[in-house]
Amino acid sequence: MSATTAVRPIAFGPSLGRSALVLGAGVAFVAVAAAAAVLSGTSDIGIGDAVAIVLHRLTGIGPVTWPASAETIVWELRLPRVAAGMAVGAGLACAGTVFQALLRNPMADPYIIGPAAGASLGAVTALLLPVATVGWLGLGLVQLFAFAGGLLTVLVVFSIARGQAGTPVVTLLLSGYAVSSLLSAGVALLIFNSGERLAAVIGWLLGSLGGASWPRIGFAVPLIVISFSLLLVRWRGLNALLLGESQAAHLGVDVEREKRILTGLAALATSAGVAISGTIGFVGLVVPHLVRLAVGPDHRLLLPASLLYGAGLLVLADLGARLAGGIPVGIVTALIGAPFLLWLLRRSVRAGR
Amino acid sequence: MASRPSSRLLPLLVPLVLVAACAAPAAPTPTASGTDAAPSPSVAPSAAAYPVTLTDDAGRELVLESEPRRVVSLAPSNTEIVCALDACDRLVGVTDFDDFPPEVADIDDVVIEASVDVELVVAAEPDLILAAGNELTPTAVLEQLDELGLPVLVLYPETLDEVYADIQLIGAALDRAPEADDLVGDLEDRVADVVAAVGDAERPATLYEVFYSEGTTYTAGEGSFLAALLELAGATPVTGDAQGVIGAEELVTADPELILLGTASYDPSLADPETALETVRARSGWEDLSAVRDGAVVPYLDDIVTTRAGPRIVDGLEALARAIHPDRFESGP
Repeated sequence: MSATTAVRPIAFGPSLGRSALVLGAGVAFVAVAAAAAVLSGTSDIGIGDAVAIVLHRLTGIGPVTWPASAETIVWELRLPRVAAGMAVGAGLACAGTVFQALLRNPMADPYIIGPAAGASLGAVTALLLPVATVGWLGLGLVQLFAFAGGLLTVLVVFSIARGQAGTPVVTLLLSGYAVSSLLSAGVALLIFNSGERLAAVIGWLLGSLGGASWPRIGFAVPLIVISFSLLLVRWRGLNALLLGESQAAHLGVDVEREKRILTGLAALATSAGVAISGTIGFVGLVVPHLVRLAVGPDHRLLLPASLLYGAGLLVLADLGARLAGGIPVGIVTALIGAPFLLWLLRRSVRAGR
Repeated sequence: MASRPSSRLLPLLVPLVLVAACAAPAAPTPTASGTDAAPSPSVAPSAAAYPVTLTDDAGRELVLESEPRRVVSLAPSNTEIVCALDACDRLVGVTDFDDFPPEVADIDDVVIEASVDVELVVAAEPDLILAAGNELTPTAVLEQLDELGLPVLVLYPETLDEVYADIQLIGAALDRAPEADDLVGDLEDRVADVVAAVGDAERPATLYEVFYSEGTTYTAGEGSFLAALLELAGATPVTGDAQGVIGAEELVTADPELILLGTASYDPSLADPETALETVRARSGWEDLSAVRDGAVVPYLDDIVTTRAGPRIVDGLEALARAIHPDRFESGP
């Protein structure tokens, strides 16, 4: 795609018109998904009431014609869940895009160098601790341990892989895999000794946005937004890295520094997301591929588009999960995303691209 | 997914989740508020008049300012207690697993496929929520209900005495204290009758099968409620570990003289005694068990009342005693 502009490698992006179209459609997708998720649920609150409640809470206008429970449901249950879904979906899709470029590996997802395993070990440890839940910045002990576990793991993996001559991608991948396996063994050991807490442990590992509340997402969501905002402006470095590290260095990119910053920000977005939602698979792996098939590899467009479609997909998937009786949201993301990816792949293979 | 080896373990764990409800309490339950071992629910002295201060099975205190009129039950056992206290008409939300008394079928479900739909709970506008312990109502859901400021009592009885205490707790909450005392007195009398009937009988080593899968048998856990009921019903229970798991070798060593197939309550193919005997005989190692050699394998169809910690638990105890000592109940209790 966009072969006509491949003259200057750093800016081989598609036309302005096409970018506007893709991003505009993305914004519309997120808006529609969010509106659908706020306006529908398992209880029978009328769409008119739901709209009136949101307007009333935002502006204070209008008479209150609905029961208090309807306001609680829309404002305290659905909205924080939608906000969490948007942030986590955007963060995962962004982090996935970054790792796929950084590691030059199509199978890379936000969890590839260990944050999921670290967060899982942290969360499961907290779940099994015989102490009362203590909160800090709105995060419970489980969320706090998950966040710290995810970040710490990436830090350890990166330090292990780092040598005199830089941080080779293969070493990073392998040490990430090894550390993940080690931590996962720890998680498995805890699972088999979890006794009556087993249901809580499994529930967390399957991932869900069901626990989202304003205080709980008050710390993680801003952190995710900051991380992906800082990632969005680093598209030049990512584009350069696509050409290979030595090429990127020739283009004047400080490859090691770029790697550190990108890994750090992606790990931050991922760990904060995992802390409030558990490990939700698929979004971070597939959304970047979907978007790349549609708009090409230029990160100036790829990053913001992935962010938007990741946010919309997760909100929509979570709505589906809610309406389907609370099934794990990861099942729904895969059910929606996988057939779509296969269709796009077939189309691009047939077109010989 | 390839980078997350732990996720591959999940399918293997599903059976464990299924039987977790039947397992013994391994340790004090850590809950949102933190608890010590088996806190007994208590009622403040001024029980009849509101406000009333209640302490639930998780050790949490709840003050009810007025008599609850809209009650949501998150467990079938809680529903049965409410209805046994003649307050069925106050229930505005139950689980999709509720089946007793029959009229609860008409009440809206707020727990579907074992998952609590918090939106439906809020929509029911409850002034009292009766939750379950041991993660049957997940801690995350309890925290969410607390954050929303909804009044919750957690009920998790692990002995007959705790069932009685929970009946009295709900009685105090719903201004049904005299009814609760009557019900508990009646249950105590019936338990005493069972104990008297089987008291001096031989106590056969009895395996109660909760679940069986690929060589692993789930039975009454060491120190579990079910094990205690089996003892009251005049058996020596063959117990598994804290989760109720007993391996093939331990089972052969324990050599049960009587096997009660609780699984027959849900698997019609086990309801016929002949078929049931052939089914278990085919399991490796089982053909040499005393119970199988003697044909003492009994399809047990009352698992629901035996494992549901509501007022009908005593029906379960009576059914167990009849299954273990049929000769003692020829005229029927």
